[in-house]
Amino acid sequence: MRADSAARLLAHRALFFSFVGRELRNRYVGSISGALWAVLHPIAQLAIFAFVFAAIFRSRAGNLDESQYIAFYACGLWPWIAFREGLARGTASLQNAAHLIKKIAFPNELLVGAAVTATFIVHLGGFALALIVLKLFNQPLDFIGLPVAILACASLYFAALGLSLALSAIQLIIRDVEQVLGPVLDLLFFLTPILYPLAAVPKSLQPLVSANPLTFLLERLHEALLFKPTLPDISDLIALLCAALVLVAGYTIFKRLSPHFEDFV
Amino acid sequence: MAASLLKLDGIGKDYARSTNRSGHLRLLYDLLRGNVPTDFFRALNDISFTLESGASLGLIGENGAGKSTLLKIIAGVIPPTRGRLAVNGRISALLELGSGFHPEYTGLENIRLAGSLAGLSDKGLRAKREEIIDFADIGEHIQQPIKTYSSGMIVRLGFAIATAVRPEILITDEVLAVGDESFQKKCIAWQEEYLKNGGTLLLCSHSTYHVQKLCKHALWMHHGTMHRYGPAGDVTTEYLVYHEEKSTQERKRHAERTVYDGGLYAVTELKLASTDLSTSTGLHRQRLGHPLLVSGELHSPDGRAPGVSVGIVRTDGTPVYGIVSEADSYTPVRVDAHRFEFKLRFPNLPLLPGKYTVRAHALDPEGMRLFDTVERDIFIEGSTRELGLCRLEHQWGGDAGAEG
Repeated sequence: MRADSAARLLAHRALFFSFVGRELRNRYVGSISGALWAVLHPIAQLAIFAFVFAAIFRSRAGNLDESQYIAFYACGLWPWIAFREGLARGTASLQNAAHLIKKIAFPNELLVGAAVTATFIVHLGGFALALIVLKLFNQPLDFIGLPVAILACASLYFAALGLSLALSAIQLIIRDVEQVLGPVLDLLFFLTPILYPLAAVPKSLQPLVSANPLTFLLERLHEALLFKPTLPDISDLIALLCAALVLVAGYTIFKRLSPHFEDFV
Repeated sequence: MAASLLKLDGIGKDYARSTNRSGHLRLLYDLLRGNVPTDFFRALNDISFTLESGASLGLIGENGAGKSTLLKIIAGVIPPTRGRLAVNGRISALLELGSGFHPEYTGLENIRLAGSLAGLSDKGLRAKREEIIDFADIGEHIQQPIKTYSSGMIVRLGFAIATAVRPEILITDEVLAVGDESFQKKCIAWQEEYLKNGGTLLLCSHSTYHVQKLCKHALWMHHGTMHRYGPAGDVTTEYLVYHEEKSTQERKRHAERTVYDGGLYAVTELKLASTDLSTSTGLHRQRLGHPLLVSGELHSPDGRAPGVSVGIVRTDGTPVYGIVSEADSYTPVRVDAHRFEFKLRFPNLPLLPGKYTVRAHALDPEGMRLFDTVERDIFIEGSTRELGLCRLEHQWGGDAGAEG
């Protein structure tokens, strides 16, 4: 990133916070309970998962019994939802703001950044709430691993931001991106250890699942909060660095295409 | 000497386009590689001008001439494909009032977002908030969601926000006066105040009247290029002439005669000049109120002195004035057996700026039959806000005898 574009972004921080605030309020604006839904949603989701997976499927993971499976699931689900929805909203963000891009001069990347950031704020907030609730219900969560979890979430955030920057720009030129993205993310959900631990995957399929970069992050989340709580090590920092590289690459693609946005929106 | 606020140097803009699906992929590949797209539309080419502090420039031109594209480039909405753009000031672009509004939010909430889109900091916005609310003057509605607003209220709020930025360069695209009558007055008063205080204006308008009123200079854009750049009065006049001509093109016009039929009285030469010394046979330029000399040669098949009639018509055919030599008892001067010459002088031509046609007709010596028509175009230049075809002597106020 060149110094002048960094300065330009900094000068527009008020606009960025306006966009984030708008993204957050867009979810609840016009509804009676407003921001209360931000709290109710994750609790309701957790209750549904507890019922479906623990009571109906009687799923279990690792050395945890079925009553504790819900904790396993929660540790992966919220970060995944943040990633998935952040990517989807980020990719659509430019196209949805065509009227602004066409008429007003401002750094367009703020739109993508705000969409991804607001999504992560909502879901990581929900994640924190869910972890607290689970802890209160005596699930075997260990908060020693929080720094690792935070690093993993930061990596997810940077990766989602970088991918969104590239895809949102490409989406303006080739409208099929959004259509392809949905099924790809659905597939990715099952190829990532969210519903199951990596150890439960048949040996023949393990290389496939391990090749997925998200696998490492999700495994670290499970390990840190459940199986063997540790402090961050070098591998977490390498993952963060890789995510930062994704961000740089995505931003580079964005910058290549951004002079032409107005031609296509 | 103030540095120029705005400097454009060879600005050009190409719009990439592609017609089919594989073309989109190809285009994406080209753009990512930084290659020049194979298929593009050249919207702007080689636009260069500078705008000093306190200047005012009007952009005129037909639809699709590239005016809006140029405004967007100057406003920073899109980068130019070629050329250099230097901006040394805060620009406020009123390209479309209210375009940053979200319908679900109240007026107050939208002031915050639109204000930060316009480049105001949170602090600056807090300071300006009351001012914006006062200017928009939409009362209690400011607490209601924008979706309940009338279109008039939306533009009022949009204008109030745009003006609160206190721009050093104001760019407007046909949005000079919005809302109802009284708010329009407010808009115009604000703009006049802004210009009086040394504000710089870049106005894009189809109304040459507004351009003449508000701008010192004008730029006529045509097919993405600078067709003409100069004092607003001259450029807008030429632009109007262009439109008059365009609308009368289908009308059959007399071709300029170069060969004459030897058997009839004819005008063989027609010249327009401002003095006896200079002559011109093509488009003649003349300033309002300066002398005009019409001279020419006539052919007489029988050696008798023919008559001549000279008339002036507006380009669209409206007659302005005509005179016949015989009525003034003037006889063209013999040059040789069949050639006669004539001279007609208008000491201070009172024609208002615009394009006119001077016509000369040859008449038989009796002044009864009209034989030939030769035309010359004349372009009257000058900056004036008088309306109509020609200047009538006038005096304001009741004391008409003051000068004796």
